[in-house]
Amino acid sequence: MPADPLTPPLLEKRLETGERVMARFQVDLDQRLQFQKGLLVLTNRRLLCFEENQAGPQPFQDWALGEIAGLSMEEMGATAALHLTATAASGNRHWRFTAGLVKEADTFVACFLEQQRALDGGVPSTMAEPMEAEGDNEGLGFTDLMPDVTHGNPLLRLLKFSRPWLRLIVLGLLLTIAATSASLLTPWITGVLVDKLLIPLQTKSDEIQLRQLLPYAAMLLGTALVAWLLKWWRTFVVARIAELVTSRLRRELFEHLQSLSLIYFNKKRTGDLISRIGTDTDRLSLFISVNFIDFVCDVFQFAFTAFILFKIHPLLAFAALGPVPLVAWLVKCVRGHLLSGFAASSRAWSLMTSVLSDTIPGVRVVKAFAQEQREIARFRQTDHHVFSTNDRVNRTWSFFSPMIEMFTDLGLLIIWVVGAMTVAHGSLTVGVLWCFVTYTTRFYGRLEAMSRFFASAQRAAASAHRVFEVLDVEPDMPATEGTRRIGRLSGHIEFRDIKFRHGSRQIIRGINLNIAPGEMIGLVGPSGAGKTTLVNLACRFFDVSEGAILVDGQDLRDIHVEDFRKNIGLVLQEPYLFFGTIGDNISYGKPDATREEIIAAAKAARAHEFIMKLVDGYDSMVGERGQQLSGGERQRISIARALLIDPAILILDEATSSVDTETEREIQRALDNLVHGRTTIAIAHRLGTLRLANRLVVLEDGRISEIGTHEQLLKTSGTYARLHQAMQEVSQA
Amino acid sequence: MNPPATHFDLQRNPAGNLMFTDAAGVVHDNVLPLRLFPLTDPDRWVAITSSGGQDLACIEDLAALPGPTRELLLDALAQRDFVPLILSIHAILRAAHGYEWHVTTDRGKTHFTVENDESIQPLAGGSIVVMDHRNTRYLITDPATLDLKSRQRLERYY
Repeated sequence: MPADPLTPPLLEKRLETGERVMARFQVDLDQRLQFQKGLLVLTNRRLLCFEENQAGPQPFQDWALGEIAGLSMEEMGATAALHLTATAASGNRHWRFTAGLVKEADTFVACFLEQQRALDGGVPSTMAEPMEAEGDNEGLGFTDLMPDVTHGNPLLRLLKFSRPWLRLIVLGLLLTIAATSASLLTPWITGVLVDKLLIPLQTKSDEIQLRQLLPYAAMLLGTALVAWLLKWWRTFVVARIAELVTSRLRRELFEHLQSLSLIYFNKKRTGDLISRIGTDTDRLSLFISVNFIDFVCDVFQFAFTAFILFKIHPLLAFAALGPVPLVAWLVKCVRGHLLSGFAASSRAWSLMTSVLSDTIPGVRVVKAFAQEQREIARFRQTDHHVFSTNDRVNRTWSFFSPMIEMFTDLGLLIIWVVGAMTVAHGSLTVGVLWCFVTYTTRFYGRLEAMSRFFASAQRAAASAHRVFEVLDVEPDMPATEGTRRIGRLSGHIEFRDIKFRHGSRQIIRGINLNIAPGEMIGLVGPSGAGKTTLVNLACRFFDVSEGAILVDGQDLRDIHVEDFRKNIGLVLQEPYLFFGTIGDNISYGKPDATREEIIAAAKAARAHEFIMKLVDGYDSMVGERGQQLSGGERQRISIARALLIDPAILILDEATSSVDTETEREIQRALDNLVHGRTTIAIAHRLGTLRLANRLVVLEDGRISEIGTHEQLLKTSGTYARLHQAMQEVSQA
Repeated sequence: MNPPATHFDLQRNPAGNLMFTDAAGVVHDNVLPLRLFPLTDPDRWVAITSSGGQDLACIEDLAALPGPTRELLLDALAQRDFVPLILSIHAILRAAHGYEWHVTTDRGKTHFTVENDESIQPLAGGSIVVMDHRNTRYLITDPATLDLKSRQRLERYY
């Protein structure tokens, strides 16, 4: 047993010979709920308590196991307490800790009970040894749902993402360099033109013929053409790279999202996720294809013009480029400001998208409650937020271009003054000066473009960060990704002492239930009792916190998830139809189903007759904007969908709750066909749905409170009898 | 499930209604044949329904029927079917609500209004269905077989 890092020497010192540590639990609060660490240690003889604050009133306390009458945990909202009742009242003690530790506390209490039982029964306590190891290794597993901190610069990671197209990228760069060189030739040719042709023509000093202009014109035309061709090629190659990279990003984002569990989607806003896949990747595409490549061009031209300038006339170059360090310093100053500004603007944007994706699907509720004005106000507010964040960051970067223009003018002024003097001095020709001025203008132009790149790079970095944030979320299910491949199950399900905790909330508090193949179980109980959670666990949308679910005797966590889900038919309260034809929707779970199978499933689900009457029959479009179907009709299509895959296990989650009685009867007949010969777990508020159930299970507060047939449960006059009574009254009224 | 296609009889009675005799010999007057997959598989899966909308029989393949029965059935189906096949597109013009399509179909020249992008939908097997603002459906069986001009016009909107 390794010693605890908190108090290694202390613990060793306190242990008697032959005493073994069985379990440990570290509390993080004191009695007044101040953060303060403490350690509870359970040995095979005693319970020891150490406090971090050694100067406190009771840094160490211990109880022999025989002195302890009971140890229990109480959840108290955000915190919880462990109560120790001693045989002597003076020995009572309470510990407090944050709710995140509840699971560990539970394990500790279980270990304690095990020890006490071992002590009472005289069984050697080594029996319980494995418990301790388990309790230790569990760690804080459940609270670790937060995404990892994004590693490294997001733009550099983007570069890593584009590795498969390295050759294309190299081609793009080469083309860029070639195109830039071609366009850089122009001022040089013009300079020579001025010196060799224009000045002599003006001064008429030599015998110059105008036709000597021709080769220069041809050269200028040639470079323009070559530059045009190269730039065309380059732009296309770079745009293709950008599309390839962002398409890969979008694809991986979507694939990654599909691998995440429902818990993640419950936490995230749809609009935000859509905007990350859509808007943010689009921004990145624009960045790569336009801004980034422009930047590479600019850097190249920048360096090249600087080189040419110094080559032509070092002194003049020095004078002209004087203001450059000042610009560099200014850029550095506003860097952080820009980055945070663009991040804020991106967040504001996704907030606005969220409001939209909230309001537009919920428009019926909005209108029904006459809350249009409120939604308008809400949108106006988020829109104003977008405006003000953008406005703030615009103020900073818009400062740049004019400033650089100013520096250009300044640099040119210097050149004209210094240049005029050198020309007068005779060490410089007018043509060279002309060439120099053109290069300097270009130089500052590049500088301005580079400063603009700076803004767009920060914007892209903010987008890339949002994209990688999603990609970095560890899928929380496949920690125990099952590998066992299975075929068709017989449908035996066993819930073995399962518990489930979501955040700090214990939803399932210990359920034991054995469901035979072909049996139908009706789940009833007040809302919030954990019915839906239980079926979600059975579908393995979540994993149990403790205990195990066994199907056909195998732990659910060992089974290949997709194989398992092929055995499950799910009918929900709100049937979700995808955009497409009715036929496609019915065959959703088995895309290769024949038309005969589709029709048979629809007939069994009692959907065939109304589908036949639609003008396009099975080819009718349904989904968001398709054919208007009633709730009952949609539900029957979803039942046909479940029937078609012929599942061994059927889960009905309030399948009849949202329809009228007449439709319910129709659905009921459809369901009768469906449940036949399958293990069924049905949740229902309308108890009529459960008349075929072999057993009814009443859930209350995460536990099974009653179990039995309809008649048995009525006789016991418990919760079920009350629910039944209430239902009767409702239907009579 | 369904009686095999040959175990029934279909006649037209003097009043012009379809009379259906099922496998058990029961005669149903005034029956209505319906295509179950009118767009994706028009020649198979035809249901015969009673005047009350009840499903009487389902014919998997029309080609397997004896000639006269098939003729009768196709004739009855043709009375109700109206899904013109677009053969060429002459123009797609901006209109007050959506776009006005000018086309030649297998039923002649016509024009209709398409309200939005969602009215043009791909179907399984590569065909495209276009729904106009009055819910009439037009089918393009294979865009690749349209002439070049029509294809270019289609590509601007789909």
